[in-house]
Amino acid sequence: MSIAFFILATIAILGGVLAITLRNVIHAVFSVLLFFSAIAGLFLLLLAEFIAAVQILVYIGSVGILMLFAIMLTTKVMGDTTKTVHSRGWIWSAISVTALLLGVLVPFISTPQPEAVSILSNFDPSVKQLGLVLMDPYFASVGVIALLLTAGLIGAVVAASSASEATE
Amino acid sequence: MNNFFDHKILELGQWLEALFNDVPSLKIVVHIVLSTLPLMLAFMGAFAFSTWLERKGLARIQNRPGPNRVGIFGLLQPLADGIKMLMKEDIVPNQSDKLFHLMAPVLLMVPAMIGIGFLPIGDGLSALPLDSAILFFFAIGSMNTIAVFMAGWSSRNKYSLLGGMRAVAQMISYEIPLVLSAVTVIMIAGSLNGQEIVSSQQIPSWIGSGNIIKEFFGQILGWHIFKPWGFAGFIFFFIAALAEANRSPFDLPEADSEIIAGHLTEYSGFKYAIFFIAEYISAFAIAGIAVTLFLGGWSGPLLSGIPWFIIKLFSLFAVMIWIRGTLPRLRVDQLMGYAWKFLMPLAILNIFVAGLYYFAEQQWGTMIALIGGWIFGFGALQLAAKGLSRLNKSPLLKGKRVYQFAE
Repeated sequence: MSIAFFILATIAILGGVLAITLRNVIHAVFSVLLFFSAIAGLFLLLLAEFIAAVQILVYIGSVGILMLFAIMLTTKVMGDTTKTVHSRGWIWSAISVTALLLGVLVPFISTPQPEAVSILSNFDPSVKQLGLVLMDPYFASVGVIALLLTAGLIGAVVAASSASEATE
Repeated sequence: MNNFFDHKILELGQWLEALFNDVPSLKIVVHIVLSTLPLMLAFMGAFAFSTWLERKGLARIQNRPGPNRVGIFGLLQPLADGIKMLMKEDIVPNQSDKLFHLMAPVLLMVPAMIGIGFLPIGDGLSALPLDSAILFFFAIGSMNTIAVFMAGWSSRNKYSLLGGMRAVAQMISYEIPLVLSAVTVIMIAGSLNGQEIVSSQQIPSWIGSGNIIKEFFGQILGWHIFKPWGFAGFIFFFIAALAEANRSPFDLPEADSEIIAGHLTEYSGFKYAIFFIAEYISAFAIAGIAVTLFLGGWSGPLLSGIPWFIIKLFSLFAVMIWIRGTLPRLRVDQLMGYAWKFLMPLAILNIFVAGLYYFAEQQWGTMIALIGGWIFGFGALQLAAKGLSRLNKSPLLKGKRVYQFAE
């Protein structure tokens, strides 16, 4: 379990670091995808298989593709760009991010943790539980989101069809 | 004596695992090997056989003999092809992105191989018995797109890049009707688990009745394809699955008459063979999911689970070959319009039909729900299909066609 965690965590950190250091935009996108898949693996390790599936479906399958689409619509499709934006203020952002991370991590590690109790015996990670929760207390929000997404979908179709008529 | 064969295989696996009871760490490894290796080998064998089947089938449609030199009926042709592919020179373009060029076929193989693990191939036999197996399958399937784009982009060839772009656009578009048509089954079965979806397609009161005729039909008539929403859903699913698996008539990413072979243009030798294998195995995986969702999975009378699954899988594959031999390739604009303006609205309407069917079945029983569903539900779907095709008709096709440069 911990071996798998460390392998996946290493891959995730590697992907994240590569994503911000690589010069080639497409390479950077693929490193982000590597990071996303490692995160999905970590979710799977936590027995959150539904979240893992959604992570792959939404982040790798859609967000990643969206990024690739965005790059494909520019002229630099091959992604070879040697120019990168340099900002002098990077040191401040590095300091603030490190401070934020340590501010969260240090109090958490320093406080004594209660003895770990295995909850696996009475733990039901099924999708059914998730569905029941979504349908009972959170029904209104789920309904609103579903309606919004359907409206967006239909709107996209209408926009696409009217745009093609305008050009003809 | 139904599913006797499946249970024996399960028992054999458990017996083999029990041999390693003393070493728990080794037992996990044995469990993993036993649940994945036979599946991988079986699907590689199915791949080899299906290339032969496809070439023979296409040859039959085109009225020629097809492969008939190597072995009896040319059955050893896949072996000869494999040896030929292994001995071919592997050419990598000088300007290409070497690492991505190498990684793309490997990355395409991974989702294909994970995908077959989610199939419930027999009674209690599935390699990855996750609770949300169907959702996971679609999630893993979306990784195919990335690999194809990677192949197209890394080759540094305009045809490859065009093929990669086409693949991304096509797979993203057809994933929506694919998942929406699968939603109906998930709604009715109330589960994302493959085994539970299969058992929702059996009629338990008939199977346990002891009456031979009822037992026979109890394993068939429950299939979702016999329900109005299931029939429509199966058709939408199958069309979208053809597009997802890059099968004809949706093989635009590798349209050889327009863009040479798309993302495969710069691949040679065994890398090309790996693309081929991955494509066929994902076609098998998606056909297997179609079998699980709509055609009753492994359930069927007389024979055991695994033979039924194989029969259904190869029947669907034969339909794919048939379609490849008869239908011409779509144009790019037709392809996108078909997914967004025709399949998707119908798939959404089908979800409503399935919901109404579910409540009608609870209210008035199965018989009335079935009759009403076929008349009203399927009728509504057909009306919607007619209306949509009229709405989508190109303005160029309205009225008499006028030729500019010909008489």
